[in-house]
Amino acid sequence: MSTRKINDQLDLMKGTLDLLVLQTLAGGRAHGHAIACSIERRSDEVLQIGHGSLYPALQRLLKLGLITAEDGISENNRKARFYRLTTRGRKYLFAEASKWQRFSNAIARILVPVVEESS
Amino acid sequence: MFGFKNRRKQLLQEIETHIEIETQQNIETGMPPEQARYAAKRKFGNVLVAVEQSRSVWGALWLENLLRDIRYAARSLSAVPGYTATLLCTLALGLGCVTAMLAIIQSVLLLPVDLPHPGRLVHIYAEDEPEGTSASPHALSYEAIDALRRETSSFAGVSGYNTMVLPVQAADGVRVNPLMEVTPGFFQTLGVSARFGRLIGPDDGKAQVAVVSEEFWRERLNGDPKAIGAPITISGKLWTVIGILPAGFHAPGMTGAPVAFLPVSTDSLGQDVFKIESAAVIARLKDGASMQQARADAQSVFAHSGHTYAEQHRQLGMRSYQELVTGDIQRPLFALLGASLVLLLIASANAVNLEIGRTASRMPEMSVRSALGAGFGRLMQQLVTENVLVSLLGAALGGGLAIVAVSAARHAYAGKYPRFDELAIHPLVLCAACILAVLLGIFASVAPALNVRRHTMGRLAVRSTTRKSRLPGLLVAAQVGLTCVLLVTSGLFVRTLRSLENVELGFDPRGITTLVLMPENQRQDPQLSRDIETRLLHRFEALPGVQSATMQSEIPFSNYNMSLHGTTDVAGRPYKKGDSAYYSFVSTNFVKASGIRLLKGRGFLPGDESSGGIVALVNEAFVRIYLSGRQPIGVTLRFHRDPGDTDADLPFTQPMTVVGVVQNEVQGADLGAPYEPMVYLDHLALPETSFLSAVFSMSGQYAVRSALPETAVASELRAVVKQDAPTMVEMSLNPMEEQISQSLGQRRLALRLVAGFGIVALILSAVGIYGVLAYSVTLRRREIGIRMALGSSRGKAAGLVASQAGRMVLVGLAFGITGAWAAGHAVRSFLFGVKALDAVTLSATAALLLLVSAAAAFVPAMRAARVDPLETLRAE
Repeated sequence: MSTRKINDQLDLMKGTLDLLVLQTLAGGRAHGHAIACSIERRSDEVLQIGHGSLYPALQRLLKLGLITAEDGISENNRKARFYRLTTRGRKYLFAEASKWQRFSNAIARILVPVVEESS
Repeated sequence: MFGFKNRRKQLLQEIETHIEIETQQNIETGMPPEQARYAAKRKFGNVLVAVEQSRSVWGALWLENLLRDIRYAARSLSAVPGYTATLLCTLALGLGCVTAMLAIIQSVLLLPVDLPHPGRLVHIYAEDEPEGTSASPHALSYEAIDALRRETSSFAGVSGYNTMVLPVQAADGVRVNPLMEVTPGFFQTLGVSARFGRLIGPDDGKAQVAVVSEEFWRERLNGDPKAIGAPITISGKLWTVIGILPAGFHAPGMTGAPVAFLPVSTDSLGQDVFKIESAAVIARLKDGASMQQARADAQSVFAHSGHTYAEQHRQLGMRSYQELVTGDIQRPLFALLGASLVLLLIASANAVNLEIGRTASRMPEMSVRSALGAGFGRLMQQLVTENVLVSLLGAALGGGLAIVAVSAARHAYAGKYPRFDELAIHPLVLCAACILAVLLGIFASVAPALNVRRHTMGRLAVRSTTRKSRLPGLLVAAQVGLTCVLLVTSGLFVRTLRSLENVELGFDPRGITTLVLMPENQRQDPQLSRDIETRLLHRFEALPGVQSATMQSEIPFSNYNMSLHGTTDVAGRPYKKGDSAYYSFVSTNFVKASGIRLLKGRGFLPGDESSGGIVALVNEAFVRIYLSGRQPIGVTLRFHRDPGDTDADLPFTQPMTVVGVVQNEVQGADLGAPYEPMVYLDHLALPETSFLSAVFSMSGQYAVRSALPETAVASELRAVVKQDAPTMVEMSLNPMEEQISQSLGQRRLALRLVAGFGIVALILSAVGIYGVLAYSVTLRRREIGIRMALGSSRGKAAGLVASQAGRMVLVGLAFGITGAWAAGHAVRSFLFGVKALDAVTLSATAALLLLVSAAAAFVPAMRAARVDPLETLRAE
């Protein structure tokens, strides 16, 4: 797969991926693999292109100061880097999540007859 | 860089951990270890891409990439020194020439002159050829200047000046010196201030004061700071030096000369002593006044208060002061800039071709990098970095060349061309050169980058097919075309010089020495001057070894010519506006002594002046224009009288009778100038009452013919002057043939420069042709081998290369000739005796280019012929 295709897909998913990472970390600190697995469980789409795409997202969030990183030991005794949400990250997640919530509520109200069956 | 190395290591470690954890999980689900690791890696995706993208988040990635690219480029370039050296030389030549020309044009034409608000200084001149009597075709009278000063409202200052050359006595003795007579407001209008002392001001109109240029002060007053108050003597009158001008100030036309400025002496009517239009006008526009308004304003003054009919109908022109100073060299400089840009184009075509060849040999490297995940953008960035790096290096070398060239030009021509003493390379020009270099670098990487793209996009590395690209061939054709333009232009210049050297002078210049004398005292009685001058003429004639001597008010190539440009009535022909001729005053023996051919009638005879009437000779041009189809002998000429003119406005009122027709002779100092209608009068016949008498007896110009060596003639003449006429000062003494050759100096210089550009272009094109052919032979080795194996001969293989070369050169010649035609038109005003599209020049150029191309194609063709078919087949 060429770099360009990855870029296109990433652009589309960037926002979602960021939010998913933050959401995952809301439950406590986690290392890259754990985050990737958690996201994989929640969404089929976002990490379809490989776990690798998680790392640029993590770097982006680090740079924005929404998360911090620290060294630690993983559950199976490996040295790993753990990420945790900062206060700012938490606020950001709350704001974005409620925004998404409002948005999806609005959509849901409009699309009620169609989405009735799926719950 | 920015600790990115560590962060990168950390990130790689983190990713490794990630993959290990995944592998572990896979193993736990029952996969064999190897497959587990593979699956984990697969799930993760491209590690390097993830790292790159992460790093681009950190920022400054481009900078790091750039630095790495630069290091890489430097390393890979130093691995191919031959290629790098060729490219650098090509670019340094191209960019150096352009930088030097840009610097010269900026310093001379673009930067404002060093005077306050130079944009508001203008030169006012007579647009049309003036009728009546004037010192120069564009001059105005001092009276008119005064009227402009008083009656216009658009100018903050109006001033005039005229120049002359007179013997001046200063601290270092008597020497011939340029002088400028200026109106009292001259320096104030220009806004220049004194270095020492004070300048001529409004109250100095009648004062015997002088201001001198810095050169005069240094050369003639010993650079003495106490020179203020020192006397200089001109024409027996003492003038007190009151001020010294700053070093950088040069009056128009006085570049580098030691000049003394005197207040112009005008009579109560505001006329100067010669009572003719002799002044150039410099004015300063008021704030907010536009050139158009000011011109209209000045024009209306002329229409209302013109002194003579001619003045009332004078069309005024106006241009900036800067144009007055540098107008003459504007077009040659732009022509040279054009030539240097053409050279740069040729150089960049070479750069592109070199780069295409080099990139082709690096294709495997590019393929590998692309396969490892380097995007096209990344590869492009690498190529661009490398090219820009080379271009900038080339620009730096070229800048060095330009600095040398510009300072050489400053030293050689500072005193010769206006503002060349101000030549310098300003940062702006260097910036422009750098921008040009960067653009060139980017431009040179586009074609190779597209090749790389085409190549890396392909599924397979197609190694064995012959790649064909039209671009290098087209670039070579373009080079050949541009070189053709430069060569044809220099060819046209060569032909121009030849025709000028073969111009029919109308007289025999061999053995002629010209001598110009002037009374030390300008106020010497004109009759006395005339007597002395006539006596000297007879003494010169009698000298041993001297064949003949004449006196002429206009001698070809002399700097002291005086000719009268007068509107003329030709009897039997209705006067039309613009009917005029040049009047030259000559000694009685003129026809016989100068060797000019008498076509009809007779020359002057010794008794003519006492016979009452004035007799005249006219030249062929005069007959062609005013007397065509008529018998010229016996026709009467008169100075034309415009309505309202009085006798005093005419040079003289007596009629002149044509007694003979002579062939055209070169006038002035330009061999290529068209022949003007001339009327020759015997100098003894000039009526004493005419105001011209004072003007024309002011200097004596002799043409002495002798078979003796020049130095012998010179010392004989000097001895006679010293003995017989100690009050006369020698203004110049030169062999005529030397002056003729000097008059071609500027054209020779132009030829040398353009031919220099042409030769460099030819070399660059030869390198280009060679490079492209050699590269193509390398690429086509396999094809040629197979052809030979199938029965083709060595000759045919060489023919393959030759035909490729032939196609490129012929296409190049085709549009080169079109371009040469256009260029010939652009420079046609510099040409003489040759058409803009000259078959001889074109065919000579084409032959030269074909010859050089053949030489350049020879080695590659030989290499093609030596391809061993066995080797090729073995390699298959």
